[in-house]
Amino acid sequence: MSILLVGVNHKTAPVEIREQLAFNDEACATGLRQLVDGDVVREGLIVSTCNRVEILGATASDKLEFGAGRIQQFLDTSGHLPPGFLEAHLYRHTDEEAVRHLFRVASSLDSMVVGEPQILGQVRHAYALGVEAGTVGRVLNRLVHHTFKVAKRVRNETGIASSAVSISYMAVELGKKIFGDLKGCSVMLLGAGEMAELSARHLVNAGAARVVIANRTEATARQIAQEFGATTVSLDQMDQYLGDADVVICSTGAPDFVVTAELVRKTLERRRNRPTCFIDISVPRNIEPAVSKIPNVFLFDIDDLESVITSNIREREREAERAELIVQSEVMQFQQKLRLMDFGPSIGAMQQNMQDIAREELARQRKRLGPLTQEQEAAIEVLLMSTVKKISHPLLNQMRRFYETSEPEPMELPKDPFEE
Amino acid sequence: MRSLLLAAVAAYLIAAIHSILAFVNKRRSLQRVAEWSTAAGFILHTSALVADWVIDGHYPLFSLREALSFLAWALVALYCVVLYKYRTQAVGAFTMPLISVLTLVALLIGTSPNAPATFSATWLFPIHTTLLIFAYAAFAIAFMASVMYLLQERELKLKTFGAIFHRLPPLTTVNELATSAAALGLLLLTLGIVSGVMWSSTRFGRYWRNDPKEIFALLTWLLYFVLIVYRLSASWRGRSAAWLGVVGFALVLLTFFGARLLGGYHVFG
Repeated sequence: MSILLVGVNHKTAPVEIREQLAFNDEACATGLRQLVDGDVVREGLIVSTCNRVEILGATASDKLEFGAGRIQQFLDTSGHLPPGFLEAHLYRHTDEEAVRHLFRVASSLDSMVVGEPQILGQVRHAYALGVEAGTVGRVLNRLVHHTFKVAKRVRNETGIASSAVSISYMAVELGKKIFGDLKGCSVMLLGAGEMAELSARHLVNAGAARVVIANRTEATARQIAQEFGATTVSLDQMDQYLGDADVVICSTGAPDFVVTAELVRKTLERRRNRPTCFIDISVPRNIEPAVSKIPNVFLFDIDDLESVITSNIREREREAERAELIVQSEVMQFQQKLRLMDFGPSIGAMQQNMQDIAREELARQRKRLGPLTQEQEAAIEVLLMSTVKKISHPLLNQMRRFYETSEPEPMELPKDPFEE
Repeated sequence: MRSLLLAAVAAYLIAAIHSILAFVNKRRSLQRVAEWSTAAGFILHTSALVADWVIDGHYPLFSLREALSFLAWALVALYCVVLYKYRTQAVGAFTMPLISVLTLVALLIGTSPNAPATFSATWLFPIHTTLLIFAYAAFAIAFMASVMYLLQERELKLKTFGAIFHRLPPLTTVNELATSAAALGLLLLTLGIVSGVMWSSTRFGRYWRNDPKEIFALLTWLLYFVLIVYRLSASWRGRSAAWLGVVGFALVLLTFFGARLLGGYHVFG
């Protein structure tokens, strides 16, 4: 059996094409039943996310080309595209390359943002749909389970997902770098924009205990406050609450500074110099840059956040190199497994053939032996079978070894010499 | 026991290399190796000290060799406590190399003169030295935590976010570590000085000799006292406190090594 992968992703096709091709859950199930015919495409799976549409199939080794054509045709018709239109955007991977591609996708090495965690869940979902549609068989089952294992290994053994790469998550990362643990930290939002709200949600998920929201329009503030169990105050009261906040996220949209250095100096006295982290995501800036010069106060404006993100992305890329090595070794392991999976049944068939030959020969000569007791009959059977086994065992072993180490045509099975 | 100490040095070196690699590569598996070999080194080192004590017949803390070896041992003990309490593995990348070097130097110095009976006879003297060695070790930890604080704070203030930013522990953690290590050091130093004064007075009838080591020790005590008082009054933390931790350690080094050069009563084999 061979593995085949045909698809488009964010690197090869623009969103207009990707959305045309995308499958929802229902389309996925009907599409799979249509595609997997048990002959050319024996097993199938559709991974459809906003960044990629990929079809994974298992075919007989000699029908690889044909299978790829079938899948491409299927994509054309399901996307209502003229034949050949996709040619420039599609990639096709077979066998080792297909396995590597799937491993990389699930480990988030092929993602737009390397290390983003959603993709594994999406692959899992695709697998569940395939199982439900009954188009996942022996080969893809093994492959997908191995894929989950690889993704887990990459996640645990590299720091590919350890640092924040989005503005909203940055507050958590910076807070952790200053306070260590965010448990018990209190957060203050000045202005209740969407980004501030998202940041606050991340902080609360990371353990922040208290949220205070100060907004110009209190109705908006109250609406967001409900979600976090937060307190709302008016912007004028801000001074009184600033002293309690460990992390302050500012996005008021005011034309000038809302938080001045003088104000921060005063609140710091009340805080007995406990460090404070100010995050200013507003443009024009709402926190006076001089705040940054005050000891024990850390101020980050939108450009600073961008530069941390750049540095974090570089860090992730370094980790991704290590992840590639893990993927490489796992691809080799899986190929080995797959070959043995093909080889196992064919060995069984060979042994069966030999035993049948022995039994046939016995049946032909049986008359000449005359009447025998049941015990003698059994003895002859044992004699024949153990002879077959003892002669074939070293031969089959040698074939297996040869098969395991043969590189160039890994998918081709050794011919059963007893057939025909 | 040289062979035991040699084995301990080997274990410490393995721990040091793995700690540094774990720090650079951020790999948990390397850190685990480092921690296990630190534990093995500590057990070997402890047995070496006990064996020395039994064979030489005196408390193994008198000559420079013994002092270095004992200091390394105290550092390992404190490092284990730090690891257990704060989970700041990064400390290992700084501490383990120092421990390896100290133990290695102690190993290379070789034999040392035996302590005169004057010193080994009373129980106050070994208490005096042990307390002070542990105080120095605590100050060393406080120093390293202060340096880490300064490095991390610099990254955060300048927003450079390089490799250091990703690898050093959080500010509050190292700040806390520096404070508690300095407080522990101050407590031990106080007790060490008091026990020294007591010993001196019962032995020679003199409390104070104005010996260079004594003067430096007093200065060190004053500096850390100021540091702790200010830290506890909380108006003073962060950078300036961290700088004081660094300066304080320079004084500690002067007390430990410098006083040897200046001569005086406190210089032994």
